[in-house]
Amino acid sequence: MSFSQILALVPEALWESIYVAVISTAMAYVIGLPLGLVLVVTAKDGIRPMRGLNMVLGGIVNFLRSVPFLILFFFITPFTRLVVGTSVGSSATIVPLVISAFPFVARMVEQSVKEVDRGVIEASQSMGASNWQIIAKVLLPEAKPSLLNGAALSATTILGYGAMAGIAGGGGLGAVAINYGYYRQNYLVMFVMIVVLVALVQVFQEFGTRGSRLSDKRIR
Amino acid sequence: MAMIELQHLTKTYGSGSGAVTALDDVSLSIEQGEIFGIIGLSGAGKSTLVRCINLLETPTSGSVLVDGEDMTRLNGRALRAARRKIGMIFQGFDLLMQRTALANVRFPLELAHVNRAEADKRARELLATVGLAGREDAYPAQLSGGMKQRVAIARALASKPKVLLCDEATSALDPTTTESILELLREINRTLGVTIVVITHEMRVVERICSRVAIIAESHIAEQGEVQEVFLHPKTEAAKQLVLPSRSGKLEGFSEDEAATAVDECRGELIRLAFDGSTTDRPVIADMILSCGAPVSIIYADTRTIEGRLYGHTVLQLPAARETAEKMKRWLTEQGITFTKEAQ
Repeated sequence: MSFSQILALVPEALWESIYVAVISTAMAYVIGLPLGLVLVVTAKDGIRPMRGLNMVLGGIVNFLRSVPFLILFFFITPFTRLVVGTSVGSSATIVPLVISAFPFVARMVEQSVKEVDRGVIEASQSMGASNWQIIAKVLLPEAKPSLLNGAALSATTILGYGAMAGIAGGGGLGAVAINYGYYRQNYLVMFVMIVVLVALVQVFQEFGTRGSRLSDKRIR
Repeated sequence: MAMIELQHLTKTYGSGSGAVTALDDVSLSIEQGEIFGIIGLSGAGKSTLVRCINLLETPTSGSVLVDGEDMTRLNGRALRAARRKIGMIFQGFDLLMQRTALANVRFPLELAHVNRAEADKRARELLATVGLAGREDAYPAQLSGGMKQRVAIARALASKPKVLLCDEATSALDPTTTESILELLREINRTLGVTIVVITHEMRVVERICSRVAIIAESHIAEQGEVQEVFLHPKTEAAKQLVLPSRSGKLEGFSEDEAATAVDECRGELIRLAFDGSTTDRPVIADMILSCGAPVSIIYADTRTIEGRLYGHTVLQLPAARETAEKMKRWLTEQGITFTKEAQ
């Protein structure tokens, strides 16, 4: 396999990796963002303490976070087939990725939102803010820079997991590295894919950091 | 009519043997339009007390009447509506860091669903009122402490409250800035007629703007009344401790060594002079020295002149010679200056 043949593999694999990572991150946030907020709001020192709910949700998050990604990937194959009709290919990777990432995202969101100063929340309550108004107008906007940082971290983690799924029939850079590189013992292929992955992680991270810094009005 | 009426307010945290009483049967009446001070050492319960007024803390028992409405009976929507009539400012300013000054002041109006154009207009007016015209687009991080507190005051006034609660509002500010913030509060009280409750641990804050004061110690109201009366003639131990900081035991910062280096002639008894505003700001001590022909040591002095009258305390060490000391005391009595013997 010539170097140019290897490079020719990159665009499609790169596109697949980005597609899987972006869709999975977005869907992980659809579940993880509200979940993280609920964890903060219902905590003992939250604005609406609900001990039972908080413990149950926290338990679920901890449980899912403890299952290694690849184990989860195989374990939920029947469910994946039910949802997307197949258990191989890029789209099939999204299902286990989302399930594995949303608890992680929930914890990231929880951390970010917890950083919002207690005094600011109390001040809002003194002005007659409802809990919904506190969530929408205080917690989320005040935590935005930290949330963006968390999103970048989540996206890069999900990108890495997505590459791991290459070993089990997923698509993207990871699959190329495994199929062309590992099985055919072509280390150059693996090396190229690693370089592309590293570059992609840098891009995601840079986006997040820059976005966070630009949106943060505490500095400047 | 009383604007705020606290009746037998009790607040206990926890239960059983681990229970902590933060407020114990506190009753207080704050008149409409006055500036009322609540002073106490940290941990005395003053922060809990002010938080019970707008029900950020739920009292364990007792009632809180604000403008005739019992806050403890309100819930949900009604409580939030009642809170809008009570503005509050804090020691840490507690502004939204991701919003501009203008958006911070607009915030309570957004909460009340006032339309955007009207809210912006009112926010601009308020920023001008607190002396921040032109800084509408600044973020809190770009403003000084005093400016941040001005934004917080504008924000607290946005919903046209009848009461403004100030929780250690100047404790994080330097003396000059404190002075200007207090002046602003007085101005607001005068022009808008807002009843102001000032929580502080600093006497000078109370002296500067309050008409009446309550001293809170160990979860109780130890003493309350007109500021002058309470500060000049404190009756309870708690009040004396606050008002006369060097009263208990030795004078602070006055060591034996210093006493030894004091002029030999001035090794006599210590007396504390209380200036209650009846003397104008003439140089009392200098006059005494001149007319008695002997020097004294000023051990401690905390006096200030308000509207041309002298208030505060001074501790003097009189000459060792008994006749001279007696002559000075007679002179003071003749001048109508009250003094007490100070424990040495």
